[in-house]
Amino acid sequence: MADKSKLGMEFPVYTFTIEKDKIVEFAIAISQKDSREEINPIYYDEEAAKKAGYQGIPAPPTFATSSFFWTGGGLIGTVKTLGIDLNKLLDREEEYEYYGSIYAGDVITRKMKVVDMYRKGKGKRTIDVTVLETELINQRGELVVKYRSTLMEI
Amino acid sequence: MALNYNDIEIGNEMPVFTSATITRTHLVRYAGASGDFNPLHYDQTFIKAIGMKNVIAHGMLIMAIVGEAINSWVGNKYLRKFSARFLSMTEPVDWDDIENTKDRATIIVSAKVVKKFEENGEKRFQCDITAQDALGSKKLSGFFTATLP
Repeated sequence: MADKSKLGMEFPVYTFTIEKDKIVEFAIAISQKDSREEINPIYYDEEAAKKAGYQGIPAPPTFATSSFFWTGGGLIGTVKTLGIDLNKLLDREEEYEYYGSIYAGDVITRKMKVVDMYRKGKGKRTIDVTVLETELINQRGELVVKYRSTLMEI
Repeated sequence: MALNYNDIEIGNEMPVFTSATITRTHLVRYAGASGDFNPLHYDQTFIKAIGMKNVIAHGMLIMAIVGEAINSWVGNKYLRKFSARFLSMTEPVDWDDIENTKDRATIIVSAKVVKKFEENGEKRFQCDITAQDALGSKKLSGFFTATLP
C-alpha cells in the first residue's frame, strides 16, 4: 500500500539529454515497426522534420513519461520510494499539457512530485491511488510539458 | 493536404486508425525503448506468480499508439492537451492461436470533434477519443485539444 507520508514529496531534480537515437528507438516501438525506414521521417530525418514545421527532431507526445524509468532506480526504485506494491500496480490515467515541443538534443530538467494519495472503495475492492505531477523544463528555462500520472494499486 | 482550422467542424471524425496486431515482441521493444521493465509485460513466470493468465501491453504503449493516430491527423506540434484513462488490459496475440487471439490484440482508434474554442490567443478544438480492440472492448478513453493554422 502506498506510503501516505509521501504525499507532497518532491523527487530529486533529474536532468537528462534527449538523445536522437532514443527518439528513433521509441518511435519504432510505438509505430510497431522494426526499423527507422518504416516510421514517420520526422522522427529520424531533421530535414523532413523541418519541412513538417518542427525546429528539430521532435519527441513523440508520450515520450516524456519515459523519464520516470530512467532515474531513481527505475520503476522498481521509484515504486519502492512510494511504498507501492509492484505486483498490484496499474497505470490508470495520464494527462499531458503541452506548452512547447521537446527536440533531440534538448537538455531537460524533470521536476516530479506526489500531489495526491487516496483510497477508494471498500473491503476487498479497495484501490490505492497515487497521483504524480511532473514538469519538464528545457535548457532555456521553458516549461515544455506538464503531466499528471495516476497510478493504482488494485 | 494539410488540415486547416476552418476545415474542422463539431461532429467531424478523425480518420479511424487500426494498429498492427500487438505481439509480445512489440511489448519487449516498448519495454526497452521506454525503460518500463515491469515484468507484467513480458515475463510469463511473473504472470503465473501473481495469478494472472497472460502478459499485458503497457497502457502507455496503447496511449502512444493513439498519439501516433492523432499525429497522422493533426501533427504533434499542434497538440496542446492529451488525456487518457485506461479501461481494460490488452493481451498480445498468441502465435499458436492467431485466429482466436488477433482481434483482442488489434487496437482501433477513433475520435470526434466536440468543441471549438479560443484559449491563450489560439484557435483550438477538442476531440473525444477512444481506443478499443477488434472485439469491441474499450481500452482507453480520453480527449485531446489541438490548434491548427
